Amino acid sequence: MTGADVSQGTDDSDLEELRAAVREFLADKASEEALRKSIASEPRFDPALWALMAEQLRLPALAIPEEYGGEGFGPVELGVVLEEMGGALLCAPFFSTIVLAAQTLLASGDERACARHLPGIAEGTATATLAVAEEDGAWDAAHVATRAVLDADAGGWALHGSKSFVIDGATSDLVLVLARTHAGTSLFAVDRGAAGLTAEPMTTLDLTRAMARLSFDDVPATLIGTDGDGASLIGRVLDIATTGLAAEQAGAARRCLEMSTRYAATRFQFGRAIGSFQAVKHKCADMLVQVELAQAASREAARLAAQGDAGFPAAAAAAHAVCSRAFMFAAAENIQVHGGIGFTWEHPAHLYFRRAKSAQLLFGGPGAYYERLLDRLGI
Amino acid sequence: MDGMKDFAAEVREFLQAYAVRRSEHADDAGFRWGRGEDRMAYFSAAAPEVEAREVQRAKDWQRTRYDAGLGWITGPAEYGGRGLTPLHDLVYDAIETEYDVPDTGAIDVVGLGMIGPTILAHARQHVKERWLPAMYRGEVIACQLFSEPGAGSDLASVETRAVRDGGHWILNGQKVWTSMAQHSAIGIALARTDPDAPKHRGITAFLVEMSAPGVQVRPLRQMTGGADFNEVFLTDVPVSDDHRLGEIDGGWTVALTTLMNERATVGSEGAGPVAGALDPDRLAAVLRATGTLDDRAVRARLGELLADVMATGFLNARTARGLRAGVPPGPELSVSKLMYGQNLTRAAHFVADVLGPAVIADTGAWGTFAWAELLLATPALRILGGTEEIMKNILGERVLGLPKEPGVDSKSPFRELRRSGGIA
Repeated sequence: MTGADVSQGTDDSDLEELRAAVREFLADKASEEALRKSIASEPRFDPALWALMAEQLRLPALAIPEEYGGEGFGPVELGVVLEEMGGALLCAPFFSTIVLAAQTLLASGDERACARHLPGIAEGTATATLAVAEEDGAWDAAHVATRAVLDADAGGWALHGSKSFVIDGATSDLVLVLARTHAGTSLFAVDRGAAGLTAEPMTTLDLTRAMARLSFDDVPATLIGTDGDGASLIGRVLDIATTGLAAEQAGAARRCLEMSTRYAATRFQFGRAIGSFQAVKHKCADMLVQVELAQAASREAARLAAQGDAGFPAAAAAAHAVCSRAFMFAAAENIQVHGGIGFTWEHPAHLYFRRAKSAQLLFGGPGAYYERLLDRLGI
Repeated sequence: MDGMKDFAAEVREFLQAYAVRRSEHADDAGFRWGRGEDRMAYFSAAAPEVEAREVQRAKDWQRTRYDAGLGWITGPAEYGGRGLTPLHDLVYDAIETEYDVPDTGAIDVVGLGMIGPTILAHARQHVKERWLPAMYRGEVIACQLFSEPGAGSDLASVETRAVRDGGHWILNGQKVWTSMAQHSAIGIALARTDPDAPKHRGITAFLVEMSAPGVQVRPLRQMTGGADFNEVFLTDVPVSDDHRLGEIDGGWTVALTTLMNERATVGSEGAGPVAGALDPDRLAAVLRATGTLDDRAVRARLGELLADVMATGFLNARTARGLRAGVPPGPELSVSKLMYGQNLTRAAHFVADVLGPAVIADTGAWGTFAWAELLLATPALRILGGTEEIMKNILGERVLGLPKEPGVDSKSPFRELRRSGGIA
């Protein structure tokens, strides 16, 4: 895989090749067994697997421009990878590092910050995350209370406050923090080892996505982009992040459908495969409808993002809403199709259910995403 | 694909000469509250004389297309077709949507879209020569005489009988939900020719002339109050054996040709008279007019509806792009049909809930009671062209590969099957 001319887009057969390579890699290295090992350990991911993802497939580099050491692909290719990772419930800091942090750095337009942080991310030697939400969980600049203070003597900024629900917040080498300044809200970079930064893991509904509460007590930080640009930056980042999340959700929803279909065709009761009963067959058909809709919405949003189309923000919001509902529906129905076995700890269905609800609510849930869609449509 | 470029240029030249580009209409510049026709309907509900005028306009436009060599783009030249590919057809459709032309749904959804390909595939040569050019010239409308009171979802259980009498067959029975029967010159009927065979293997298809003695067409009034369908009674109707389609007792194969072409047309729905019902601007205008634009619960419902409407649009756009690139459609068309019905149903109920009393009775206010007609049409969207339940069986069995419901009905002689109405 070499750098692509993004304006041309990647050929469909190349996308399928990418998909097959990622799927094969994940089936081999990120099996359910490996996943269960990861969620029972600290850190909540396997650093060896992360290194392998970087070495073998260069996945962290995929959507980073070539000038920063990446492969130069765009949202469409990233979407393919995220669909597969969602399907496998990959437990690794890919979403936080690549979808949140790297895309935020790129969206900030701060070339110095990009040059400083992106090569390490692309190489797989550094992980990163984005910290916006605080105690109320809102991804909204207006709710940010964490303050950044410019210390004229020390010649730099210092952060005061706390962030919650920070994905991979306890393990990320770099934390991008949205904080309040006199100019409004602004984005800051903080190194994991910075003095005054403490991270405390949170107990999470989704066992495959680690979260932490971060406290900042006079923590040295570097301003990224322009002071006061935080709110508009986060708005743009949310469009990109929800599109990435939608791809994960679409991939995971399809995996739930596949599990249900396989089970319904092989589980016999009353002398028949349960999938021959319309009550069960129609459940699977309903899941298929949701899955097809989710896939179309997430892929179209990625396509519009790649083209820089003016319709992208609305498409991203629609994809976020549709994929959130589709995955939650598929994860719940998957358990129902499986019956008792689907309710056991040993069965993976609950891991998908946990991811589904958590992902649906991650950026505010139905109360926020329908409003975001109307906002993007100018209603 | 230089040939395709030339074709597109030819289509543009034709449309430029015979039609007006939509963007040249000042009136088409988006929706504005209180302006334009106050109608929101799925079925035409037009008075017979108005409908007859619309049918004539459709026929005239079809004739114009045909004379320009664009009336049957995929048809073989010997029967008046152009002999080009389905891709050319798509290109024509895509370009035509940019122009303001008469709606030809009355003649091409069923007649040219489904019956024409069936005649082409299964009729004798002189029958094709007699009817196909006339159909694609817009002179002859064709209808589909398939459904019966006792054969809806289970089409293979038709009870209309056809009995051989020398060189003819005599048909007796009743058909229902026949669109355009009152305007049709011909129809394709499925009739039982062997009641002792299993149900799929005792049916024969016939090309029936609607003017033949014993054919009686009665309008069927649907729950909206209008009559967009018909019942067709067949009493001792003679059909010449050379107007039989396919083999004797091979009618199911013929029916599948028709139904396959039906599914190819469903994905293209949504640009008709009700497209405005799913238009974000129009829906927002309803909220503005009712003072509910700031109501959080109402906004959430609108957001949920629009997300699905957009996603369905994306699905259709991606399917169309795939078709243009030569990718055969998968389950998308069935999903699209289900979603189209659901979206329209939800839109109608959403707006009705927002309008409240103005949908209970006509206050005379623009853009309010008009929604009642669409609301009353929505139950049909879950039934026509394959009920939701049948669509889900198709998705479950043909796409997901789940086993069929075990049953005796496809193996036993048709005569022995239990049918509605307790026929012994």
